[in-house]
Amino acid sequence: MASVSIKNVWKYYGETAAVKDLNLEVQNGEFLCVLGPSGCGKSSSLRMLAGLEHISAGDIHFGDRRVNELPPKDRDIAMVFENYALYPHKTVFDNIGNALKLRKVDPTTIQQKVERAAEMLEIKHLLQRKPMELSGGQKQRVAIGRAIVREPELFLFDEPIAHLDAKLRAHMRGELKILQRKLGTTMVYVTHDQMEALSMADRVAVMHEGVLQQYGTPQEIYHKPVNAWVAGFVGEPPMNFLDCELVQEGDAIQVKHSTFSVSLLPEQASIINSAKLERKVQLAIRPDEIHINGKQSAESIKAEVKITEPLGGDMLVDTTVGKEKVLVKTKPDFTASMGEECFLSFDKQRWHVFSSETGLAFF
Amino acid sequence: MASSDIVQYQTPLRKIGNILIGLFLAIYLVWTLLTFLMMFVSSLKDLLEAFKLPAVGDWAGVTMFFDFTPTLRHYENLFLDKNFGTYMMNSIISAGGSAIISVVLGSMCAYALSRTEFRGKKDLLFWIISTRMAPVVAVMVPLYAIFRNFELVGTLPGLILAYTTFNLPFAIWILKGFFDNVPYSIEEAQMCDGANRFEAFVSILPLVAPGIGAFLILCVLFGWNDFLFASIIGSGGAKTLPVATKELVQPQNIQWGSIMAAGVVTTLPMMFLGLLVRRYLVTGLTMGAVRE
Repeated sequence: MASVSIKNVWKYYGETAAVKDLNLEVQNGEFLCVLGPSGCGKSSSLRMLAGLEHISAGDIHFGDRRVNELPPKDRDIAMVFENYALYPHKTVFDNIGNALKLRKVDPTTIQQKVERAAEMLEIKHLLQRKPMELSGGQKQRVAIGRAIVREPELFLFDEPIAHLDAKLRAHMRGELKILQRKLGTTMVYVTHDQMEALSMADRVAVMHEGVLQQYGTPQEIYHKPVNAWVAGFVGEPPMNFLDCELVQEGDAIQVKHSTFSVSLLPEQASIINSAKLERKVQLAIRPDEIHINGKQSAESIKAEVKITEPLGGDMLVDTTVGKEKVLVKTKPDFTASMGEECFLSFDKQRWHVFSSETGLAFF
Repeated sequence: MASSDIVQYQTPLRKIGNILIGLFLAIYLVWTLLTFLMMFVSSLKDLLEAFKLPAVGDWAGVTMFFDFTPTLRHYENLFLDKNFGTYMMNSIISAGGSAIISVVLGSMCAYALSRTEFRGKKDLLFWIISTRMAPVVAVMVPLYAIFRNFELVGTLPGLILAYTTFNLPFAIWILKGFFDNVPYSIEEAQMCDGANRFEAFVSILPLVAPGIGAFLILCVLFGWNDFLFASIIGSGGAKTLPVATKELVQPQNIQWGSIMAAGVVTTLPMMFLGLLVRRYLVTGLTMGAVRE
């Protein structure tokens, strides 16, 4: 087991920088998810940890060891690949035991360790099969088996469950989390799926265009996004953004939209005050933090229902406020037809205000 | 996955088309196989019998072709008097040796070219294949001069080297295609598992084995069928089957029977090899064609 520290790491592919000045500290035994859309530099970062890519600048340490120049085989890592990368001509047993065989472990120990890993992953009955005869979920277990049998210092997972169907993915999320807790090995897990990141990780690093946007617990990422990009990326359905202006009215600060005006809570207003009043902002709120109602109430906003999407337990309502789209998640007993008038009220404790200019959050 | 069957509907036009295709195939078969039949049958005939021809227009006389007493005299002559055993060995060693060297060196080079990026890679690849673009005859004279300086003329190593010169660029190109199709992540997994670069390379060899096997056969064929190199560079000490066969044609006495027998001896091993690896050959050579 080891802690990982990534200091001022850059990765260039020719002229383009894929990873820009990345700084991350992973505690011993921690489960870190690196979350971001494709092309954000998360896989490059992982591959630099593995030693499969050169580090253009900066340092990576595992514990006290600087690993920049170490080849993958000397880093004591185990990696699980997106496409599993099993050896098609070898049996499951040989696939799992491969790393031990390369390290010249004696055959009886290999036998024991492979069987223990297979038992843990419930694939013991598949040991004599070839990868071609396995389903996606089974292949993925074999790939994980190959990683855990090594008992490495660090696990690197590169979107290992991206190719499974939704139900199996949900199941594997739970299993991976249990497995990591059981083994207690430090894990760096790359994914573009926020559900995976939020549900499994101790801490999440959100990356965008090669830059680390936010690094924190899943709760922090979800409830306290540092900028508009993180807010928009994390959460499903995505957050609503409304272009507004901030206007001082006496002690209170009003958020003024072209069609409505609502006041900020006093503690929110004080943040704005200290950060100097900025006129153009984005008001952001998650669909499930908006209440929709047929009748008007205090500080409610008039909107028009465009379409309703019942999802079984929930209902998504597409509305328009002025010219902007606002998505609301509500209970399925809400009924409205297209073009009908409705009223929205925001949960003020939960909303966010971002600077339009810099995208940074005030709160 | 879509069904691989092609849906066809029977129309009069298609019917005629099918008949024409059948006819064409029949003629083609006669055209290609008849020569082999004549060669094989003639190798078992005496000279007199071999040249017994029916009169023009006498179709019943065709039976005359099969009217002979088989003799193995020509084969005996080849192997007992004319040393064809040695020549066959020369052919096997030169063709096989060059094929193995080409594939071993070629696969390593192809792997390197497939897996690395560097400036001028495209130019290097073009340069490699461009060595195959000049006709063999054009490089023969300089090659002979070089080989003579190194005292390689008339030796088996010389012949192997000459074939390798021509097989290797081809091997690099074809094998690079095979390696390109192997996902990089398998080697990366190997390297994470504790393999060095060479072990990773060896670990993916089974995946390209059909391609390598098929290409090995092509290299053997090139060396086996070659006449030009063998007659000039191999002349003397490293005489191969085609050259030895040619020498049966003498100004005074063309030994038709022995020539036919030599033809059979030269052709049969490659035919068997072809039959043996037929399926392998097809899967191997189409391997790079589609991404799976």
